[in-house]
Amino acid sequence: MSDKPVRVYQCEDNISGVLSAVYEAGISGYGYKYIKIQPLAANEVYELELFTEFVRVESSDEKVNSVLDAVRNKISARAYSFVMCAALSTYPDRGDAIYQFLTYGFSMGEKVCDAMQIPWVKRAFEIRRRVFNEAHFFREFIRFREVQKDPALLVATIEPEHHVLPIIMEHFSDRFAGEWFIILDKGHGEAAFHQKNGDWEVRILTPEEERMLAELGEQREEYVELWKTFFKHIAIPDRKNEKLQRNMLPLHYRKHLTEFMEE
Amino acid sequence: MIFQENATLQEKLAILADAAKYDVACTSSGVERKSKEGHLGNSFASGICHSFAADGRCISLLKILFTNECIYNCKYCANRASNDVPRATFTPDEVCTLTVEFYRRNYIEGLFLSSGIVDTPDYTMELICQALRKLRREYRFYGYVHCKAIPGASPDLVEEAGWYADRMSVNLELPTEQGLQQLAPNKTRKKILTPMRQIQNGVAESREVLGMKGGNQSAYWHTQKRLGRALPGQAGNYAQAKPSLSEAGNPGAGKMMRKPGIAKAEKPEVEKNAEKPGSAKADYSRREELARGSEIATYESKETGGMGKSEAGGILLLSGNGTNTGLAQWSRIDTSRGFVPAGQSTQMIVGASGESDYEIMAVTEALYQRFDLKRVFYSAFVNVNQDVTLPAVEGQPLRRREHRLYQADFLLRYYGYQASELLSERRPFFNTYLDPKCDWALGHLEHFPVEVATASYDTLLRVPGIGAKSASRIVKARRTGRLDYQALKGMGVVMKRAIYFIICNGKKMYDFLKIDEDYITRNLLENDKNVMEGFGEKVTYKQLTLFDDFQFGN
Repeated sequence: MSDKPVRVYQCEDNISGVLSAVYEAGISGYGYKYIKIQPLAANEVYELELFTEFVRVESSDEKVNSVLDAVRNKISARAYSFVMCAALSTYPDRGDAIYQFLTYGFSMGEKVCDAMQIPWVKRAFEIRRRVFNEAHFFREFIRFREVQKDPALLVATIEPEHHVLPIIMEHFSDRFAGEWFIILDKGHGEAAFHQKNGDWEVRILTPEEERMLAELGEQREEYVELWKTFFKHIAIPDRKNEKLQRNMLPLHYRKHLTEFMEE
Repeated sequence: MIFQENATLQEKLAILADAAKYDVACTSSGVERKSKEGHLGNSFASGICHSFAADGRCISLLKILFTNECIYNCKYCANRASNDVPRATFTPDEVCTLTVEFYRRNYIEGLFLSSGIVDTPDYTMELICQALRKLRREYRFYGYVHCKAIPGASPDLVEEAGWYADRMSVNLELPTEQGLQQLAPNKTRKKILTPMRQIQNGVAESREVLGMKGGNQSAYWHTQKRLGRALPGQAGNYAQAKPSLSEAGNPGAGKMMRKPGIAKAEKPEVEKNAEKPGSAKADYSRREELARGSEIATYESKETGGMGKSEAGGILLLSGNGTNTGLAQWSRIDTSRGFVPAGQSTQMIVGASGESDYEIMAVTEALYQRFDLKRVFYSAFVNVNQDVTLPAVEGQPLRRREHRLYQADFLLRYYGYQASELLSERRPFFNTYLDPKCDWALGHLEHFPVEVATASYDTLLRVPGIGAKSASRIVKARRTGRLDYQALKGMGVVMKRAIYFIICNGKKMYDFLKIDEDYITRNLLENDKNVMEGFGEKVTYKQLTLFDDFQFGN
């Protein structure tokens, strides 16, 4: 080991920040053993360490696109999904996982995705699995309310750990193509807006917008009671099993589920 | 009888959900379908659960009866004619509105529609058809629909329902014909199997015409294909059937079931497998015998009018020369979704008529082989009517039995086990304390340990703690480099079970591990404290097996 200091690339705590840092780290040629990527929220305090140099990364679309194009063209579509899932996650080591995964990927090619013996590949795989799993939970455990008629508008609230909105919007924009709907990601202050028979976008909300949407999403409507009735009567009393129910549907997912809400 | 003539929609929903809740087949899987302009919904291949009820069961579909009035008097059923329960009937519009409005709110994945028998089977099937017709045509619903085929209904109505539904099911009700006679005197095995056969043929035809969209193959079918095994009841005899099929001048049936080239690709695999632990040495005679024990196979020979060999019968039927006339409504109905594209399932009640696990698994296997079912569901008997002629059951042991049956069912469908490997007439019940896969492994220790670095996919599948996903990850990962135990953990291998049965690069995970039945059993059970409650600390596998036989043996 030489006595080269570790270099930490500090970036904005969002997708374009992390991918821009991956870009800078990649072209630096400094050596993957000495590189770390640290996403920092605005005004977040970090500890200064000895024998470490810090580099501040400016986010830019060119850097992001350069990384993503390279992954798609030089590795594979599957590798691209590894990178995107990690970028959408909120793990502090996600920048490292992407950077290290790609370091192997650019030399191994598409088979990198199967190389689970490599710790960073395994980590990227694990992150992807978690993000996909959480996204799948929010295809299942998400409830819309019709908050307005003519034109009808559906609103749902979720509180995921990762930024799963783009993934679940793929699903709902097809399923509810003919509906106006909004999904509010409460924890991250973002929302996805879908136009009837049209496009959708994810937007960062102002606190005021977020408060209004959250209120809207709890409005009463007639199908709530019908759904609760069905939910109650479909269970077999002789087989009551709350532990199993909790395993399958953990309590923290129930917060915004109509059938578990008091009203 | 209590009629709720002026019941509100909410009251009806309560009654008709209550009446449907004992039906266990509530999956929404088997068909991938994108949305269509001007329609509501799509379908997701692996199915989506939307909630979990207080009993821990998944809620995926709006599971309701059209009506809970019923002229039949099946002893186990809460809706039987002689019961004094509130009765209600939906209108087709109510069913449609509930489905669509629930779906828009993402409460459900679609509709599951069943019904009590009103007046006649035909009248009832027509009610179901009316509701589904409206739902698909007027309400333009494009999500998932599961409906029942009513035994005894005319083929026309069954077919129409099949064009609206994604999945259909006919309930087998009880595993044995004798049980059916005792508990459901209005139903016969023949009446149940007739629509099942009709749907099977319809799906095959739809698949032939529309390709994958018309109906994909079952997990059981794919597993048998991978292992190069023939299916006795169907035309898909991968290795052997092809020459005889073309000799018979029937290229259609051959094309339908398999593409050219598969036999060639599979052949070496077959030979290799024959040497591997318990894998596919296709033992037809034994399986034939097993299936012959059930009436499922007998039905077939009766139906085909002395064709003798049931395989020939299956081909005959599929090629359209048999008793079935095929799908008749291609031109009259929107056929773009295919005919029952998610295939059919069935369910049976376990523990009400004294049948053994062996009988249940034999029937299950015959259904997969001869009727091309996607799933068989098991429902632990609940004596809702407190009927004195039915067994008084304790829920806990029966639910564990149900659980074991489901585990074994997965072993048949995904892992390539055969019913005769898991149970026998001499040992007709599953081990209560060990899952069927561990149980099989402990009985076949001569096949272990398995070398993870070189073993074939199907050999890996036989290792307790390794499932379909982890086995395929292992196979892929070792192509890129050397494996070690650390890497296995990240691939989803359940190490606490697997470590006794594997070596990696010639090494055990820990030196002290030994391949010994008692030793492994004790350790496996220690991992599962619940199972051991009340049985003391030092019980051996042999003792447990004895105890098991003693408990259920006669």
